[in-house]
Amino acid sequence: MNKNSTKLNKAFWEDLILRRGTMIGMIAIILFLGLRAPSFFRVKNLMDVLKQSCILILVAMGQTVVLVSGGFDMSAGSLLQLTANLAAGFILAGMKTPSVLIAGIAVGLAVGLVNTFFVVMVKIPAFVATLAMMLVLSGVTTWYNKGKSITLSNEPGFFFLGQGYIGPIPVLFIITVAVMLLLHVFLKKTKTGLRMYSVGENYAAAMLHGISKKKALLISFMLGGALIGAAGVLQASYSYGASTMSTTLDFLLQALAASLLGTTFSRTEELSVIGTAISALFISSLSSALIANGVSNLLQPGLLGLILVVSVMLTVIKKREIGQVTIF
Amino acid sequence: MLSTKTAAGGSSSSGLKQWLIQNSVILGMIAVLIVFGIINPKFAAPKNLSNVLYQSSLLIIMAIGMMMAMSVKAVDLSIAYVADAAGLLAAMMVIRSWPSAAVFLLPVVFGVFIGLCNCLFVSYLGLSAIIATLGQMLIIRSFELMLTNSAEAQILFMLPPNQTKTFFYLGTGKLFGMPFLTIFTVLVIIAAYFIRHRTVLGREMDAVNGNARVALLSGVNVRKVFGAAFILGSVFSSISGIALVSRTGSAVPTSVEGYLMDCFVSVYLGAIISKNNRMTVIGTAIGALFTRLVSNWITIMGLGAAHKDIINGAIILAALSIGALKKQHE
Repeated sequence: MNKNSTKLNKAFWEDLILRRGTMIGMIAIILFLGLRAPSFFRVKNLMDVLKQSCILILVAMGQTVVLVSGGFDMSAGSLLQLTANLAAGFILAGMKTPSVLIAGIAVGLAVGLVNTFFVVMVKIPAFVATLAMMLVLSGVTTWYNKGKSITLSNEPGFFFLGQGYIGPIPVLFIITVAVMLLLHVFLKKTKTGLRMYSVGENYAAAMLHGISKKKALLISFMLGGALIGAAGVLQASYSYGASTMSTTLDFLLQALAASLLGTTFSRTEELSVIGTAISALFISSLSSALIANGVSNLLQPGLLGLILVVSVMLTVIKKREIGQVTIF
Repeated sequence: MLSTKTAAGGSSSSGLKQWLIQNSVILGMIAVLIVFGIINPKFAAPKNLSNVLYQSSLLIIMAIGMMMAMSVKAVDLSIAYVADAAGLLAAMMVIRSWPSAAVFLLPVVFGVFIGLCNCLFVSYLGLSAIIATLGQMLIIRSFELMLTNSAEAQILFMLPPNQTKTFFYLGTGKLFGMPFLTIFTVLVIIAAYFIRHRTVLGREMDAVNGNARVALLSGVNVRKVFGAAFILGSVFSSISGIALVSRTGSAVPTSVEGYLMDCFVSVYLGAIISKNNRMTVIGTAIGALFTRLVSNWITIMGLGAAHKDIINGAIILAALSIGALKKQHE
């Protein structure tokens, strides 16, 4: 009896660490860093941190939607940069906020459509096709802004999206949470969403059930593109225009890291929008918390890399397959 | 061999068609270069071409490193940063006037170490190659920033000549009237060719690329082969990093980042011009040379970075589309 209960106990702990280990680790790290820096947990600072992380959360969710049906989107970062520049330019040209938002989404949809064309019709692996798209898009961005940053000022209607507050809560955060919930319901509760999951997880089985991979990938790329296109518009509103700083690769890698970290929340390594959102929030707030602690920002990429490797390793170490990826 | 046989079997016109389809990408590349030369004769001048040949040696070596990882169905995102850090280490050692042997060897040891870490992560612990090398890349970036006190450039060409003479010989010296770097690159290509195509390890890499499970069942130590590809990749890229600093005379942390995309372009181009889309050393070298020629033309024409990105992206898409269609045709 006693022996049995210790066995059960052990299984319970193992389960807890494997399933919730990442989340516990994340909360512990943020709590530790936050308590050391007294100003971190003030409501105003917390709201700032939330606002800051929203763009990353949106992009990471866009990436997740593509990953769900077995795709891959290397162009996410440069699409964000492009739509941010376009949005800033359009606002300067006197367009109204709703039409700018629609334009951003339309550009995202178009990019998604082109990606789908190359992946589904021409049958180029998603990794390379979107890599090429990434180069093309960052070229178009440089061509559009001619290497200069586009600064906006005094656009209260447009700035409300990215910087406004409703009560103490940032508007941007409300938008992000709404998008997250909608996406979660779409992916987990609708027929289309579940089919997308099945194509990504076991293509052979999905095919035998007559599920079309083409359709799943089309929806994935279009949805992801639209989301990132909209995020670019919000980014322009959040950061007073668009800078020329080449942060596209960094943004892409952080979004990718968030999606992959999100898979460690489930025991079967399933992608989920909510897991992605929490991980993206963690990645963003980690850098704020480190800065609040006076840790040099030179160390930040390294710490992020270390956390990424270690936490993903915890979930895959039981299977120990070799890490091949589809590249060709 | 096989293609000549089928060509002899069919009528002569269909044989020609077959040959054209098989070599469409490389013919296309030559055509593009000829058109470039006609548009701007300066591009086709022998002096310019030999200059590009000299400059492209670094990309060739680095792309061969990337090819090693990609030929077992993996990617190594840390490859550009390994080169960057290796060059930086070499530069710092030259500034502190360490012996030449250390300057040339220790960065390569660093490359081996990073390769071993990657090998451990992807091959023995089972992380996906994208995640592991992405993490590695971020860690190396931090390492470099800490080492150089937030990306201070390490300038070598201001140092007294006798301190840097041996080190600069690799990048700027001449042997038999040829740049030593070009000769060195040819030697590296030959070495890589033997490792990749003439050894058991190389053959086993092909087996792992084709089907890892079947390779395992036929007695290939899949974990070892998969990991070895990463070690080879890091070693080649650390060599290219040393050569780069030796040529330019300065090391700016995180400045090699852009090479990552060029490596991808080169390897994919190389695969498409090879038979059955295999990853080969010679193909990769040709791909890298083509990539550099194109960017050289863009520079000569006075077009900006925007055009370079767009053209590079368009080239990947065009080449891969042809490759994919070729596969469906067969």
